[in-house]
Amino acid sequence: MEAVVTRPALSCCRRAASSAPSSTRLLLNSSLPSGTRQKSTAARTRRALNIPPHPSFLHPNKTPESVASRPTSDEIIFNPPSSAPSVFHTPFKFLPKTDPRRMANLTSNLFASSTTIQYNYSPSSAASPSAETTTTPSPESFPSIEGPPVLKPRHHLTPQDIEQMRRLREQDPVTNSVQNLARQFQCSKLFVLMCCQAPKEHQQKIKEQEEKVKARWGPRRRAAREERHRRMEMLFNGQL
Amino acid sequence: MKRLRVDRWTGQLLLARPGACPASTPRTALRPAAASRCAAVRTRSTRAMPEIPTDEDYADGTDHTRFPPLEKLPPRATSLPSPPPERALQSAKLAALHARLSLPEKLPLQTLARALVDNSADENPLFNNTNLAFVGQSLIHYHVAEWLMCRYPRLPMEILYAAMKGYAGPAALHHVARSWGLEHAAAPGGEVDPGLLQFSLHKPGNAIVTLGYKRAEAEGLQKYKWRHGISSRVVFDDDFGQVVETDKATQLRRADTEYGNEYTRSLAEKAYANCARAVVGAIYAHAGREPAKAFIRSHILSRTLDLSALFSFKKPTRELALLCAREDFEFPIARLLSETGRLSRTPVFVVGIFSGKDKLGEAAGPSLEVARNKAAMNALKSWYLYSPGEHVRVPSDMLAEDAQPWTPAYIDMGEIIGR
Repeated sequence: MEAVVTRPALSCCRRAASSAPSSTRLLLNSSLPSGTRQKSTAARTRRALNIPPHPSFLHPNKTPESVASRPTSDEIIFNPPSSAPSVFHTPFKFLPKTDPRRMANLTSNLFASSTTIQYNYSPSSAASPSAETTTTPSPESFPSIEGPPVLKPRHHLTPQDIEQMRRLREQDPVTNSVQNLARQFQCSKLFVLMCCQAPKEHQQKIKEQEEKVKARWGPRRRAAREERHRRMEMLFNGQL
Repeated sequence: MKRLRVDRWTGQLLLARPGACPASTPRTALRPAAASRCAAVRTRSTRAMPEIPTDEDYADGTDHTRFPPLEKLPPRATSLPSPPPERALQSAKLAALHARLSLPEKLPLQTLARALVDNSADENPLFNNTNLAFVGQSLIHYHVAEWLMCRYPRLPMEILYAAMKGYAGPAALHHVARSWGLEHAAAPGGEVDPGLLQFSLHKPGNAIVTLGYKRAEAEGLQKYKWRHGISSRVVFDDDFGQVVETDKATQLRRADTEYGNEYTRSLAEKAYANCARAVVGAIYAHAGREPAKAFIRSHILSRTLDLSALFSFKKPTRELALLCAREDFEFPIARLLSETGRLSRTPVFVVGIFSGKDKLGEAAGPSLEVARNKAAMNALKSWYLYSPGEHVRVPSDMLAEDAQPWTPAYIDMGEIIGR
């Protein structure tokens, strides 16, 4: 049963707390049942439990006639509890051209939101017939969490460019780092990594530096990193 | 329950034999006209003394006054590696198994008894289940593979192998055979009840039941974990994409010294699986194609296998981007659908991956990165696990006489990234 703090009791508490020494004040503020009141009368309980029915029970067909009436017994109300979407629900875009589910003239809207069932419910609009314009929010209304915009592959580098990139990296791997080369040739870092390889001594040096840093880690940091790594592996194996 | 004090029993109780009055087999029609010598069984249940065989044929070194025989065995039965076929008609276990599996009437008990003899128990191919198991495994693999291909046309080859193993691998068939109530004898021999599965742990049979080549570099694969790609697995390895192993000499030594190690367990698993295959082969041999297919459908393909748990990804976001590029979809963009407790200890982010207006996948996770990767994995899984429908037709349906005209099954163009 929900506890309700009523006004006179609260002020009483405050007065007691201000007058009491600090130790008892703490006690009073945290947990003292004297300042709260239960919903011990039938009227309050009834009022608390009197919640309106779910909108799908109110006007299933969304026509003005049926809005007023209750659903008949031969209607199916599909109103599942919220749950994680199933991967066996193929999104509309992934259906092949020949699939009957695509060929059937179903609105793509239905399938776009097939993984989550959304209904815009507000108590004021539920009663009015204007509620039938329930539009699912467009994807643009959600903030993107992608990082900075990725460079689109433009295929502008010639074999000569790649040769030059390799030569530069071979000559001076410190100044011609992967990032610098990517900036210079206006391609992604992944492409630079695909094209050229640093000389063996440079790789060795980088590795030694890394080892030195790792040697300074304490047991907690090491354990935390290992655990994070393992958790990521479990995620990719579908175990999380 | 009171403990039974066998040492205080009278001689008459000790001498009464359970096999003295066998129930008459309902399938008398199956009994061959030339009944064996063991068919002449006494029906009187009481008698003073057990019938001690004095014939030279029965002498096998057993002291019959101390160990009276449970039932009258045919001559030299104990010296045979597996029970003689005519004893199949007297086995209650065998008849019960036949009835429990609702096997067709055309399948005689003798063949069912033969399906229970592993090649490690009896090396003679005329008496063990090797040829039946070979036919059975070909049928099972054919039906499982065609069903998976039609039902989930976009499965990558690795997942297809894993699914094949999940449905028709030795572990799965072992469970199927166990679920039939099949039990095994402690050691094989001619005196064993023919209704028990018989295999030996000490001399594993050398019969080949699966197809596949022995790789020249098999040792290096095992020792140095050399990479072997999916293409070579398709060519060389068995139907589950696993390297065919032949050398088990060191393990065999373990089997003789230790009791119940993983090698002996794998031998038992193999024997049970071969038995399940042999039963399918026996149905095919005696009753034909359709009953065998129905048996495979109801006992092997009806099992539940969660295909979505078989996947493992390396870089799901990149794989999804490649997929979208290949299929001419818009570049996938991860968007935050909802979140709670960003500054708390246990936040939850719900991330959806959109390609244009369409949502491809959605997942919740404790951080943006995790949720995004999970959503990409879900999107890829829903691509790979596309199914044309639950009751999809398979090519072998066309072998029925009154089959509808064939509509071509959906075939996907291939995998997104090569492995």
